[in-house]
Amino acid sequence: MNQTTRDLPVVDALRLPEEIRALLRPDELLADRAGRQHRLPRFFYEVRSWSQAKELLLTPHVRLSELLIVDSREAPRLLEDFPHYVPCAVSLLARIIEDLRAKVGAPVFVAANGGYRSPAHRLSVHASPHLWAAAADIYRVGDTWLNTQSSVEKYGTLARELLPDVNVLPFGHQPGETDDHLHLALGYLRAVPAGCDERGSELNSGNPGATLPALLAPSPFESASAQTS
Amino acid sequence: MPATLPAKNFPLLDQIREIGRQARVSALAVALYDYALDLRFSVQASRVFHAASTIKLAILFALYRAAETERVRLTDRLHVRNRFRSQADGSTFFLQADRDGDPDLYKRVGRTATLQELAETMIVRSSNLATNLLLDHLEVPFVTEMLAAAGLEGLRCVRGVEDEAAFARGMNNSVTADGLLEFFRRVHESRALGAENRDRLFDILFQQRFNAMLPAGIPDSAKARVAHKTGEISTVTHDAGMVFLPGRAPYALVILTEYPSAGTGGARNKTVAAVSAAVYEFLQAAGSAATS
Repeated sequence: MNQTTRDLPVVDALRLPEEIRALLRPDELLADRAGRQHRLPRFFYEVRSWSQAKELLLTPHVRLSELLIVDSREAPRLLEDFPHYVPCAVSLLARIIEDLRAKVGAPVFVAANGGYRSPAHRLSVHASPHLWAAAADIYRVGDTWLNTQSSVEKYGTLARELLPDVNVLPFGHQPGETDDHLHLALGYLRAVPAGCDERGSELNSGNPGATLPALLAPSPFESASAQTS
Repeated sequence: MPATLPAKNFPLLDQIREIGRQARVSALAVALYDYALDLRFSVQASRVFHAASTIKLAILFALYRAAETERVRLTDRLHVRNRFRSQADGSTFFLQADRDGDPDLYKRVGRTATLQELAETMIVRSSNLATNLLLDHLEVPFVTEMLAAAGLEGLRCVRGVEDEAAFARGMNNSVTADGLLEFFRRVHESRALGAENRDRLFDILFQQRFNAMLPAGIPDSAKARVAHKTGEISTVTHDAGMVFLPGRAPYALVILTEYPSAGTGGARNKTVAAVSAAVYEFLQAAGSAATS
């Protein structure tokens, strides 16, 4: 039987070991390309092994592993060692990809580095929804490679029909544009599953008074707030 | 000190000039070093040529230097992406699969490949996509630095393949026959790389799939193993490598040709093969004479 996110422990990254916290930077503010500040995610799924990521279906057709593929520009600890951590918003990202797949009637392929990547990844210069597991770089739909203006615009339009607030970068060769994939983003989405307690941010400012357990019971989403940009 | 053959009235030189004359080359450079005879021979060896795909040797070398200094690991994975920035002005450019020696790698766009896989396909199938991916990852200044540190002044790497904006500004990768000869000698003698990485590098070069030039000049009966890299584009056709023959020390041979008009393949490959044959026959005869 396939695993789901219900089989994954949810962790409060503020309570993770310093080595990991320094890479994930939970609750820290990070500026986007325009200088706007965004608070990085705090609650993550803990993935024990690559085989677990490959077996775990986020939706009927989207495996967790597809959204975790990164190259050597990722921090070695997050690339090679387990457990891996992925922001809980990844479930919602998978849902929009699944819906797009159903709408176009063909498999949707997410590029390496184009699902979740950490703030420590060398491509993570600015705040990008990829760091929230809330963006996907789709390079291929069925047999169509998304490297032309017409293909990028066609599938961007279809994605917006699914969810008007989804952010799609325009076709072009400049920063903030794409020319070899469709960048589809839900925004800086902080997902807080039920059972999680959002107190304890003071840990970031050096106050050790928080009492949250690092590991929280797996549970469905209680709330999710999305901001597109 | 290796023996240097006199240029005047030397039969090999005459043969090479005749081959060049018949092929109507605008330039032909040859550099040879034979470990068995400790003999060095060269023709126009300091002349600068467009490198074509022989520049991939410089990138391969820099990759192994990067591995040796732990800047990278050969098992590191890279996103296979067909999108590059020009070294001239930062503009975006893409490679064409149908103009590449290895269209297969394009099927992996969007996925990842290890640096070792990319190195192999860059050399064995002369993949332009693998070349640009590796150069992007290593970066041009690092390649330049590694070449300079190894004393390989005749190899100049300034850009990736099909960077038209750089080409338009005259930014071209270049080589000299002496430079490529020195590359093979220093690598073979472990002066530029450790023995382990030298062996890995040669293992890749032995797998070369384009064998119509340097190896084609050597009879099958010689049972030669040739570690080499070809380069063909527009007006130039090159091959450079090391020839390992059973029972004798190897020789390094570089043959660079340039033509007044564009064209590749067939006759131009045969010209390089003819020079390779002339060198092989000369060394066989010289070896016999030395023995007797």
